[in-house]
Amino acid sequence: MTDLAPPAAPGRYSWTRLKEHPSLLLGGGIVLVMVLMAIFAPLIAPHDPLTQNITARTIPPVWYENGTWEHILGTDQLGRDYLSRLIYGARISLFIGFAAVAIAGVIGTVLGLLGGYFGGRIDMFVTFVTTIRLSLPVILVALAVVAVFGGSITIVVIVLGLLKWDRFAVVIRATTSQIARLDYVLSAQAAGASTFYILTREVLPNLIPQLIVIATIEIASAILMEAALSFLGLGVQPPTPSWGLMISEAKAYMFFSFWLIAIPGLALALLVFAINMAGDGLRDLVSPERRG
Amino acid sequence: MLIYLAKRLGLSVLVALFASILAFSLLRLQGNAATALAGEGARAEDIALIIQTYGLDRPIVLQYLSWLGDVLQGDFGTSYFFRTPVAELIASKVGNTVILAMLSLAIALALSIPLGVLAAVYSGTWIDRLCATISLLGQALPSFFLALCMVMLFAIKLRWLPASGDATWRHFVLPALTLGYYITPPFMRLVRAGMIDALGNDYVRTARAKGLPASRVVLKHALRNALVPVVGLVAVQLGLLIGGSVVIESIFALDGLGYLAYQSIGYRDFPVLQAVVLLLAVVYVVLTLVADLVNAWLDPRLRVS
Amino acid sequence: MTLLTVDNLSVDFGRGAKALHAVRGLSFSVAEGETLCIVGESGCGKSMTSLAIMDLLPRIARRSVDRLTMGETDLTRAAGIRAVRGNQMAMIFQEPMTALNPAFPIGDQMTEAYIHHTGASAGVARARAIEMLAEVGIASPEKRLGQYPHQLSGGLRQRVMIAMALMTSPKLLIADEPTTALDVTIQAQILRLLRDLQKRLGIAIIFITHDLGLVSRIADRVVVMYAGTRVEEGTAAEIFDKPRHPYTRALIDCIPQPGKTERGAMLGTIPGVVPAMVGEVRGCAFRTRCAVATPLCDGAIPKRRAGSHSWVCIHETSPVEASA
Repeated sequence: MTDLAPPAAPGRYSWTRLKEHPSLLLGGGIVLVMVLMAIFAPLIAPHDPLTQNITARTIPPVWYENGTWEHILGTDQLGRDYLSRLIYGARISLFIGFAAVAIAGVIGTVLGLLGGYFGGRIDMFVTFVTTIRLSLPVILVALAVVAVFGGSITIVVIVLGLLKWDRFAVVIRATTSQIARLDYVLSAQAAGASTFYILTREVLPNLIPQLIVIATIEIASAILMEAALSFLGLGVQPPTPSWGLMISEAKAYMFFSFWLIAIPGLALALLVFAINMAGDGLRDLVSPERRG
Repeated sequence: MLIYLAKRLGLSVLVALFASILAFSLLRLQGNAATALAGEGARAEDIALIIQTYGLDRPIVLQYLSWLGDVLQGDFGTSYFFRTPVAELIASKVGNTVILAMLSLAIALALSIPLGVLAAVYSGTWIDRLCATISLLGQALPSFFLALCMVMLFAIKLRWLPASGDATWRHFVLPALTLGYYITPPFMRLVRAGMIDALGNDYVRTARAKGLPASRVVLKHALRNALVPVVGLVAVQLGLLIGGSVVIESIFALDGLGYLAYQSIGYRDFPVLQAVVLLLAVVYVVLTLVADLVNAWLDPRLRVS
Repeated sequence: MTLLTVDNLSVDFGRGAKALHAVRGLSFSVAEGETLCIVGESGCGKSMTSLAIMDLLPRIARRSVDRLTMGETDLTRAAGIRAVRGNQMAMIFQEPMTALNPAFPIGDQMTEAYIHHTGASAGVARARAIEMLAEVGIASPEKRLGQYPHQLSGGLRQRVMIAMALMTSPKLLIADEPTTALDVTIQAQILRLLRDLQKRLGIAIIFITHDLGLVSRIADRVVVMYAGTRVEEGTAAEIFDKPRHPYTRALIDCIPQPGKTERGAMLGTIPGVVPAMVGEVRGCAFRTRCAVATPLCDGAIPKRRAGSHSWVCIHETSPVEASA
């Protein structure tokens, strides 16, 4: 978890080196396709994801005997086009993943920077706050807060953002305390540069590779968490097409139409798998010496 | 050593205290607990009665302090919903959760240690890549989706195991498999990294030079040192398992702590929820403390100092 | 009687034009009870040679050898090395601080291989370990058995390593820079111990070092290695009295000598570093640093021999010696 390898100069990552990391290319490629799908959802989706059609309920996907090309992935229990819901669902997953991790990243990075750079009492405080955060059961607290405040995309983003900064804080703190002792930081201090200048111009740029790697791990985990919250009925609320919610809604029909939960489940798995794979590739790229 | 222990203990207590404050205030921040409790469309008199009964009109700090005072005397209050003392309620459910957590942990270790060792011994080969893929897949599959697939396959199609409940040991198999597989990847990565590190050490070369068989070199000399950091992860994961089984316990209707917490969230049953969150925070700090002590005991270099 | 025979040993990393040749066509033998020193600067392939004999090379290294035998046993066969390694042939390493496993007590580490090779009971193995610890001059050996490596000093750990190597009464002990990591007084003690053990137990020793000063104190015969290959071989007397190869002479000149070396004089190092042997290699590898190199040095170099003394150099006798 604590990646203590000294950060490398950013200029090293060229296209040729990228080609040496197939997992980054494949994972990144899948993520890119999903992101494009989410952005251009209104253009791609064949139907409106919310329009119900009582006469066309649980039509199976096209590869089943009675499937139709009209609804390639079939329709759900309310007759909504499943492919369209899946495409719009990518929006929810990706938006919540990115937005929550953006908040968490800012909190964790600020805490980690302060603790790692100043040390002493400030560091003790940061470590203490981090330990408290780690002692709280994330899923339970998230569930409780959503239950109290009501489920909505905004609430889910804020809750996950406020809960998922621990890894950022731990790693950034460790790396910063290393960097703070390096020559160029010491010389900047000697030259009388302000602390804010040193932190933002000298230290932070060197943390970017690590930040990206942690962010990928956390985005993947936030997406899974949103799905779990929505699955339990305490996340995104119907009729919004969240993948977790789709599985939850289809649960009662899974004995007869297993594809209703298989399709969003596999979509989630594919997205998270791709993000993790890209993250692994990035980690190899950032600190090749950590490879076995 | 004793001073270190005292400091660690003090810190742990402080952490648990702050965690409880956070949990308490989070739940009281918004909305009127009494309204929620009385249900929609409740009459004003009912709400007033509830406020009076539970002391919800007092300042939040006072509410917290009186709650904490009771907790320190072992009184966690009475459940709004179940109408029984929270302590009894928790005591009756905690067994199932502990069994589930232990089983899952055992499954995860039984999977991750051999796979991690294999991946390290054959690092860079297809075996290593296969193990990495298994681990990535484990991380990617949403636990609730995996659980539903398990139910579909083993309970419905094959009819080998029950789909829900907690009456017999057979009821624990599917939840434990799901949770165990779910937490396998982090263990596997740690074992692999630790083994690669250990195998590169001089003492492993010494062991080989002594003519010991490869299995003994790997499984005794390298693994013993690679497993030290795993202890820390066991503590953290056990903490997560006890709290994180909300989803799995709900799906399998396994009547444990997680299921209780899920129900109490639905019923706005704050005394239960507060107690569970506090309990889990305490479990976490105790487990990390134990892990530190076990680590000190495992590493002879730390044991003496 | 010849104990160990190494014939045409090569160790390569990688293949083709980028291949790094760590050891190139090295041949030598060790007789029963003798001390053979392999000398050269770091990067000469000495350690790779010892690891190649023990079949302990890193996985990415490739070994090729025409003959590698210990007595009648073929060490290139799996069964051969399994029977011999840690049994008739033992090894001690440079870093006593890291060569012992921090997680197990000394006694456990000393007895496990003995039990594995001899099938002895734990009690017998324990008695043997106490005997061996006493043999290497460790006081109160019973107490040491229960201790962990971190509780011992570097010198003590190296003694434990030696005692551990002696457990199975090996015929050959390979010592790879066993004193380099220790300070000078401990170094002398360990050296004396090895010489003493050899006399009493009749073990053959391959002593690997970069320090020719140590060689003069223990060697029967010397192999001088440069860039993965043997440049000179002879008895200790031949090497020190009549060094033929310019590299050997340069190494000897590096030894500080009481009375001869002037105060404040440059303490000897040979200028430059050992070149990495990559791809196809021609001629004498030392020519880039040699004071007496000629244009002919990048061609075929004749192998020269005078009795037991052999060397590989373009010059019949060392010009440095001739002019002196």
